[in-house]
Amino acid sequence: MKTQINQVTNSVIVTEGLAKSVLTSEGVLHILSSIDLIIKSGESIAIVGESGSGKSTLISLLAGLDKPSSGAIFLNGKSITMMDEDGRAALRNQLIGFVFQSFQLLPGLTALENVMLPLELRGDKTAKAAATALLHRVGLAQRLTHAPKQLSGGEQQRVALARAFVTRPAILFADEPTGNLDSKTGANIIELLFELNQENRTTLILVTHDHALAARCHRTIRLEAGCLV
Amino acid sequence: MSRFNLALRLLWRDSRSGELTLLILALLIAVSSSTAIALFSERLQSTMSQQAAELLGADLVITSPELIAPAWLEQAQQLNLISAHAIEFHSVLIEHDELILASIKAISDTYPLRGVLKISEGDAGVESIVHQGPEPGTAWLDRRLLSVLKLKLGDTLTVGEKPLLVTKIITYEPDKKGDFFSFSPRVMMNNLDLLATGILQPGSQVHYYFQFIGAAQAIVEYKNWLKPQLNPSQRVMDSRENRPELSSALNRAERYLGLSSILVILIAGVAIAMATTRYTERHFDATALLRCLGLKQQEILWLYSSQFVVLGLVASAVGSALGYCAQVGLFYILRELLPQSIAPASIGSLFFGFIIGMVVLLGFALPPLLRLKQVSALRVLRRELEPRQPAVWLVYGLATSLISLIIYKYTHDLKMTVSVLGVGIISLIVLGLLIMGLLKLIQKRLDGMSLLWRLGLQGLLRNNRASISQILAFSITLVAMLLSFNVRNDIIDDWQQQLPKDAPNHFALNIFPNQVQDFKEDFKQQHILGSEFYPVVRGRLTAINQIAVQKRVSKDSQGDNAIHRDLSLTWTESLPNENKLQAGEWWVSLQPGLVSVEQKLAESLGIKLGDSLAFTVGSQQFNARVASIRSLRWDTMKPNFYMVFSPGTLDAYPSTFITSFYLAESQKELLNALVKKYPSTTILEVDLILQQFKTLLTQLTQAINFLLYFALMAGFIVLMAAVYATLDQRIVEGALMRTMGANRRLLRAAQLIEFSVLGLLSGVLAVLMSELILFALYSQVLHISYHPSFYLWLLVPLFNAILISLVGCWGVRQVLNKPPLLILRGL
Repeated sequence: MKTQINQVTNSVIVTEGLAKSVLTSEGVLHILSSIDLIIKSGESIAIVGESGSGKSTLISLLAGLDKPSSGAIFLNGKSITMMDEDGRAALRNQLIGFVFQSFQLLPGLTALENVMLPLELRGDKTAKAAATALLHRVGLAQRLTHAPKQLSGGEQQRVALARAFVTRPAILFADEPTGNLDSKTGANIIELLFELNQENRTTLILVTHDHALAARCHRTIRLEAGCLV
Repeated sequence: MSRFNLALRLLWRDSRSGELTLLILALLIAVSSSTAIALFSERLQSTMSQQAAELLGADLVITSPELIAPAWLEQAQQLNLISAHAIEFHSVLIEHDELILASIKAISDTYPLRGVLKISEGDAGVESIVHQGPEPGTAWLDRRLLSVLKLKLGDTLTVGEKPLLVTKIITYEPDKKGDFFSFSPRVMMNNLDLLATGILQPGSQVHYYFQFIGAAQAIVEYKNWLKPQLNPSQRVMDSRENRPELSSALNRAERYLGLSSILVILIAGVAIAMATTRYTERHFDATALLRCLGLKQQEILWLYSSQFVVLGLVASAVGSALGYCAQVGLFYILRELLPQSIAPASIGSLFFGFIIGMVVLLGFALPPLLRLKQVSALRVLRRELEPRQPAVWLVYGLATSLISLIIYKYTHDLKMTVSVLGVGIISLIVLGLLIMGLLKLIQKRLDGMSLLWRLGLQGLLRNNRASISQILAFSITLVAMLLSFNVRNDIIDDWQQQLPKDAPNHFALNIFPNQVQDFKEDFKQQHILGSEFYPVVRGRLTAINQIAVQKRVSKDSQGDNAIHRDLSLTWTESLPNENKLQAGEWWVSLQPGLVSVEQKLAESLGIKLGDSLAFTVGSQQFNARVASIRSLRWDTMKPNFYMVFSPGTLDAYPSTFITSFYLAESQKELLNALVKKYPSTTILEVDLILQQFKTLLTQLTQAINFLLYFALMAGFIVLMAAVYATLDQRIVEGALMRTMGANRRLLRAAQLIEFSVLGLLSGVLAVLMSELILFALYSQVLHISYHPSFYLWLLVPLFNAILISLVGCWGVRQVLNKPPLLILRGL
């Protein structure tokens, strides 16, 4: 299997025997078991499953936000399971963008500053210009200097989208991006997400309960009780 | 489950989870410092009251600057009272070419009437109790005298012109006074030897103490008989009603310690308010749920306030115990100023600390707690619903009322309370605005800064009120500590260094009129640079325009100090050097009955030109009209006087003379010759007196600093409360930053910047304020030039920044340790 994975070209994410368990007061809880995945560059993947099936845990492992209990993860050919937290952080800055259900904008920063932040973390001197351009792209040209609390839910998620794409990431993780929005706003956000995804040729990994949204992706991965089905 | 059980269970859970740790710590600090001060004051007062008879040395004591009328002693005899007397004065002693200013006490055979004397018969000698003083021809000395004068038991000590055999070391006397001169070591001798010393002459400065014991009824009768006959310079003290005076140093120490503890309470109160605010905000959701389940608003308030009451009771009890330990420390620091045995603590003072704890908790925790009452049940569905903030008048009104009550408790003076409160509020507002301005300036400059600095400084700017509170707490505490440090170490030295090289460094008092000419010739022959010789009569100001002076002064003012003691009154034909007329005219026609008053005293007492002032000298009274008001410089080291009379005004009263002179180090042996030639003259070495002042100041400032460490601890609690108030937000932001690729080093550096800048700002502000205050003190009060301490500008902000960074970074360590995974879990 290992030889086969190594020989697969154009794979941006590869997992091998990925598992995650946690110790609780009632004993060991197996959240994920033996996940083997190959995700190609430019693919859009929907991860579906019921609450508690392990979706959030899976993307947290794939994004390097957590370490597996066993198994291996390769991002762009690099094993992230051997990296320490700072190494994984650096890799996230280079490769990954995030969109969250609850937007997760920094309340003390303006819309422009929130979008600039990932580029500034890289030391990119063009951060302001790039962020301004992207905010124009998502239709918030008039809201650059506004704080998150001055924006509606939909506007905040658009800022979050701009922030996620400003680094032109190789991989975008979106965790229930429309979960806190009404259906019309949510639909607009999804359209924008897929447009930006196409423009940037990003690999999209989307966690959702929405089957219609999952159907828009190239592939759907279903999790049940921590296993791929 | 009953409501109270629910309250206790919630309290227990919250305590275990650390929710209430800061609140408990802040309360402990407030209660322990208040208890320490309360116990300290109460034990002192009790000592003076309970042991009054022993501390007075009798049941009733008459103090007088002169001998009392024989009829008074006859009356005491008729009432079957037993009497004793003691005469105290100062004299310079010289033996083996060493000299020292000593306090001489000549006692009668029946002394002491109450209490005992303790003596020792050698270095290794055991202390023993005796009930009678030294025999005629002998003297008992303070151990310090033996050392300084190189004497041992069996040697001879000459007091004035009388040689006395040194037989014992005196280690304890029951009625030792607590004034400044108690620093002078003691010589105890028999009063039968007094005449032979030649020291006492008309006009000499001595204190007579006539002591009586007897049946309670007889004492009361005698006191009532005496009172109408006393003149203003005489006092009668009854062990049942009056306590012996604490030294003025100790009185002030008590008051300043009290005011220092107010600083502690205020800062701890801010910490309590911040901790309670966070506590309530974290309980909004739970409260909304309880409302859904049927609890009414009043029941919600009861549920949480009962928890706080229980918490307050427990924390106050522990705080009182800690305060008990702290007051032991205070007594140790001030041991040399205090009576030898101190009354034990009473439950009442421990209870006071308890009350303070509950009142502080009520004053600072109640406004945030009231918000819980306003939480809507709808919040379970709409989390954005938050109860409104407590009314500003409630928050500040409660805090101000509480602080006012505590200030009044320590000062017992309404005017001083209002002044302290007023100055405090204005200072806080001005400083708060200054800090707000600084923070706004930082905000404006943010755009041009690098990401690291922006992240760090935004941490400081995220909550302006919290940042202002922290900076204020630290800077005010640091100012108090810096001032106390300066007062202890630098002020006296700086003042001394500013004097001209040949400024007089000795004072000679009690020079008799027939010695003046000899003194002048001796100075001339020995090339000693001396100032004028001024005649002095000891008298007391009693009324201004027929109104008693006590009605015209405020406590602790210059005037207040001047009317409670005898003043040195003098007369002169011409205006003294370095005195400047500010109003009125100097007398031209040498008409008696005129007086010139020092300007600041005149202002303090409201004395104006033309006013009629009444004085007493012993039992005699006279009046004088204010002819002029003059200013003078007290730091010329020459005799200066509050009251200068026209010639002829004081002719009826016995006088002595005073002068000052300069002796170079090489001329010091001339001092011995002067003392030997004029044994009745008291010669004060300014250096020695200043050294004694420094010792006194050192002890007082040590005691105040002891309390200020409590304030510093409270300041750190405020810091931690501010950190914890924003900890949840910091954790989310930190996790988000790390999700986007920020490494721990960047986040740690941003935290360091935030807390270092906080420390630097408060340190710089503290140094700035203390320099301004010291500048005012030096230039306006001491009239000497002030040089800023550049090393303080460097050291204090730096040290403060390091300390606050260490504590602050420790407080937010979770931000770096919590995994970014939390973001996905919505935590």
